[in-house]
Amino acid sequence: MVIDKGNGVPDGGTDTWPAGGGLDSDQHLRVSDAEREAATGQLAEHFAAGRLDQAEFDDRAGRAMSARTRADLSGLFADLSETGAPAVPGRPEGGGTPGSGPRGPGSPIEFRLDAASGVPTYLQLVHQVEHALRLGYLKPGDQLPKVRDVVASLAINPNTVLKAYKELETKGLTAGRPGQGTFIQATLGQIALPELAGLHKSLLGWLTTADAAGLDQDGIVALFTSALRDFHERRGGTGDRRGAASGETEDVA
Amino acid sequence: MTMNIIETSGLGKRYGSTWALRECTLAIPAGHVAALVGPNGAGKTTLLNLAVGLAEPTAGGVTVLGDKPAGSPAALDGIAFVAQDTPLYKNLSAADMLHLTRNLNRRFDQRYAETRLAELGIPLKRKTGRLSGGQQAQLALTLALARRPRLLVLDEPVAMLDPVARHDFMATVLTAAIDDGVSVLLSSHVLAELERVADYLILLSRGRVQVAGEVDGLLACHRLLTGPAAEADRYTERPVVHARRGEAQAHLLVRVGADYSVPPGWESHPVDLEELAMAYLREPGAAALPGPARARALPLETGEPSEVTR
Repeated sequence: MVIDKGNGVPDGGTDTWPAGGGLDSDQHLRVSDAEREAATGQLAEHFAAGRLDQAEFDDRAGRAMSARTRADLSGLFADLSETGAPAVPGRPEGGGTPGSGPRGPGSPIEFRLDAASGVPTYLQLVHQVEHALRLGYLKPGDQLPKVRDVVASLAINPNTVLKAYKELETKGLTAGRPGQGTFIQATLGQIALPELAGLHKSLLGWLTTADAAGLDQDGIVALFTSALRDFHERRGGTGDRRGAASGETEDVA
Repeated sequence: MTMNIIETSGLGKRYGSTWALRECTLAIPAGHVAALVGPNGAGKTTLLNLAVGLAEPTAGGVTVLGDKPAGSPAALDGIAFVAQDTPLYKNLSAADMLHLTRNLNRRFDQRYAETRLAELGIPLKRKTGRLSGGQQAQLALTLALARRPRLLVLDEPVAMLDPVARHDFMATVLTAAIDDGVSVLLSSHVLAELERVADYLILLSRGRVQVAGEVDGLLACHRLLTGPAAEADRYTERPVVHARRGEAQAHLLVRVGADYSVPPGWESHPVDLEELAMAYLREPGAAALPGPARARALPLETGEPSEVTR
């Protein structure tokens, strides 16, 4: 994120807080509330990126709000890597990402993990590729991050990444090119529009019924989530798209 | 074909009158990052020390890297071990540690070690005792990996590290696993991050193996069932690992087979590794040793005294 220079926050031309260059000489300068808040915001990004845990974030945010000088603020970031978008695959992160070796041109996307989601790690990777396809971040011909780079940047088991890539290949979304990597080969087509409109309409009808029965929004979400989970559970949890849904829903225990 | 990177049969270790480990029968296939989990005093360190040849078994036996007896020269050559609390000579510089390790080992990849330390920004001239905790851990790990082992054994490698150092440390380990095909066995009582890192789990409790198997397989055959407490007892035919009951509602963590179906009126959720491990750790009597190839080898029920206690 780029800090607006108009608010008096030192920028130094980079998008990181402990901005390089001229900041060092300003370390003794007093900081404003705007700077304290900007620093807190950046800490929040580190927290969101998983570089800080809750306790550390609370501690550092507290120290940011009571900081007096720029030195106080930049000290809070001394052991953190750059904020903003996650690093390009293979780019050293936090001064300690391992690995050398050849680096390709890189991939348009970078994976992240949500530890609190409860979704298995490999599925999170699969979902993120599908999501990026739907949103147009990924197009046919684009390369996925190399397995090794994903392992190095997320510190996850190599087999997890391989499993995710295999799943994507099984779904026909990607293809491996020997010696090069994994490439997108298909778009994730939406269901044909007329079908979508019909589904939307029947869902609205269902919502009306649920509302009339006295369910509030949270109740509806809980019910839908639970039904969706049962649905996947019964068809084996593989998340196959499509399929004879009408035949499978009655396959109840 | 896959060989077993560690194989134990009836392995036991007694200190005085206390069995730190008993009746441990395991076969960990190569090519995994295996996590050895258990509460303090469960026997994790004992098992690791036996595997790397730092301790002699009281009962049973252990082989590594296929069929090499633990502690034999051939075994020592292929195993690198980083003990708890990153053992380094604190008064030696990083460069001296490199020199020392190179001269104490038949094989040592000096170039790898130097490149790695440069990437990590670890100053070679500084005494290791003056490096940060994360740097000390990375240095010890680099020395271990520079020996080009086929099996890397780590005893509580990240317990003392902050989250960033922990992440970077594990990234180094996992990168070695993918680059060089190193098998990894690491002990930990930090469950939360294990699911990302490990694809094989061994749960030790009170000196016995409680759970062993590939993580995917373990997760696939366990479910958390939530339903009316009054009916909870009806599902005892399904092995219930751990039950939590309220007046009206009960949560059962159960082991399920392939033919599993959700009982009517119950809700079924997949479990994660932490939930699964916690459930077993709370029920030391329960055991799950799935995997068709290995079911034979392991005593499913604990509690009965065995011939090892002679």
